[in-house]
Amino acid sequence: MFSAVRTYVSDLWARREFAWYLAMGNLKARNASTSFGLLWWVINPLLLGSVYWVVFGILFDRGTLELTRGGEFYELSFLAYLLSGMFPFFFTQSAMTGGVNSIVSNTKLLANLHFPRLILPIAALVESSVGFVTSMGVFFLIVGPINGIWPGPWTLWLFPVMLIHLLFNFGLSTIVARVAVPFRDLNNLVPYFTRLWLYMSPVIYEASFLEGKGELVERMFRLNPLFPILELYRHALTGVDIDLASSLLAATGWAVVLSTLGVAWFVKYEGKMARYL
Amino acid sequence: MSSPAIVAKDITVRFRPMVDRNPTLRRSIGRMRHRETQELVALDGVDLTINKGEAFGIIGRNGAGKSTFLRVMARTLKPDEGSVNVYGKTSTLLQLGVGFNVQLSGRRNILLGGLAAGLRKSEIDEKYDSIVEYAGLEYAIDRPVRTYSSGMFSRLAFAVGMALEPNILLLDEVLAVGDESFRNKSMDTMRELLAKAGTIVFVSHALPNVAEFCDRVMWLEAGKVRMIGEASAVVEAYQTAVQEAR
Ligand SMILES: Nc1ncnc2c1ncn2[C@@H]1O[C@H](COP(=O)(O)OP(=O)(O)OP(=O)(O)O)[C@@H](O)[C@H]1O
Ligand SMILES: [Mg+2]
Repeated sequence: MFSAVRTYVSDLWARREFAWYLAMGNLKARNASTSFGLLWWVINPLLLGSVYWVVFGILFDRGTLELTRGGEFYELSFLAYLLSGMFPFFFTQSAMTGGVNSIVSNTKLLANLHFPRLILPIAALVESSVGFVTSMGVFFLIVGPINGIWPGPWTLWLFPVMLIHLLFNFGLSTIVARVAVPFRDLNNLVPYFTRLWLYMSPVIYEASFLEGKGELVERMFRLNPLFPILELYRHALTGVDIDLASSLLAATGWAVVLSTLGVAWFVKYEGKMARYL
Repeated sequence: MSSPAIVAKDITVRFRPMVDRNPTLRRSIGRMRHRETQELVALDGVDLTINKGEAFGIIGRNGAGKSTFLRVMARTLKPDEGSVNVYGKTSTLLQLGVGFNVQLSGRRNILLGGLAAGLRKSEIDEKYDSIVEYAGLEYAIDRPVRTYSSGMFSRLAFAVGMALEPNILLLDEVLAVGDESFRNKSMDTMRELLAKAGTIVFVSHALPNVAEFCDRVMWLEAGKVRMIGEASAVVEAYQTAVQEAR
């Protein structure tokens, strides 16, 4: 058992360049025929941010949230609140979409070559990570000039938080990649599922919105693994106070459990994948 | 005699494809509960040893199980029963251009195809010039591969496949589109490989080529070995059977 894991990991490691260039090739090809090319990685989150700014900043005029930062009263603009949740949420969404397609859209590779199949969801995750990292830069590009929110000492939290989030997304994408092989219908279901997940997560509303909705509802919403993850991003991006310890614990727990189970389940199924091509 | 390159023991592969006679809503719902399947035996107890230095052909009608057998040898399909041992570095050309992204340039695809086949980036960089020269595509190497003709595409793919410097080459009907000069070139390369005690397993419907190029041939029929032996004898027997069936 232990030696099998080691062999698999070293096979995987030997193929790391394959995973990297596969992802880079797809990134390059994605926008190869568009005029803006790679600039789309910046334009996409910018447009996304603008759309929500129009809707919530102008039409709904949600104003500000009354929070604390460093123990002192702090007014956070709703736009900053929204984007600090929206961009990380889209990372999870694109990791899921990429994961679903990672095996079923590479049938030619699967039919012809023998390699650790985990390479494929990993390459897909690398692809969506590039988009996410650029969107983190775009975040400050938007809320800096508009709301005066710039990186501070709390921004250092971004690195561990992104790592935890990456691990969580990795687990999620291996699970959906595995399920999509015999169950292609998943491809059609993912958009609805992620939409529902967005509305169940504290992205377009604050956590306090749940108060008074009943204890059961509140507890259910807090079970959402993205709940602690998004809290952590809020702190890392805007510096507002959160319950750091419990959020870190919950987020790490989810990430470790999901990625361990996901990878084990995926690898166990690898030999059978070729049957469903 | 020489040592074995591939030892296949009692390989059996069954597929359970979904049968969709007449897709209706009611059937689709029923299918979710008990998938309507019909077992299909693609390979039925195939026993075979291929030696080093041998050119081995596989012939048979469409659907006989030739490609399935190559996939088992390439270890991308685990047989339901039996085992296969492969001794040597294998280059698989079951399909051409595996790992290629046709939106990208030939240059980029040499890297992608090479990495997919199992080379390291440093090895590919080293061999890059000789791959391009072998494919004879210096003039088109920075163009997207989707603009290549099918012959150009297969030149590039074959050149990348050979860059692995395999001991064992698995070929599935892929060299049909190259022009005369490239076909001669690839034949020379394959003869060189054989001379270096390499092994070639070759699936083709071009019977004269098979008879000429291969040492031994296996004739598969409905997943079973119908005949195995000296190339021209098996090809002749197969041709006779096809004639009679008409
Ligand atoms: N993924 C699959 N799912 C279900 N059945 C399959 C699958 N792949 C192959 N088969 C079946 O297995 C049998 C053998 O197929 P195979 O591709 O090995 O034939 P072949 O000898 O290569 O034929 P051809 O000369 O047409 O290339 C066929 O009946 C085919 O329908
Ligand atoms: Mg075939």
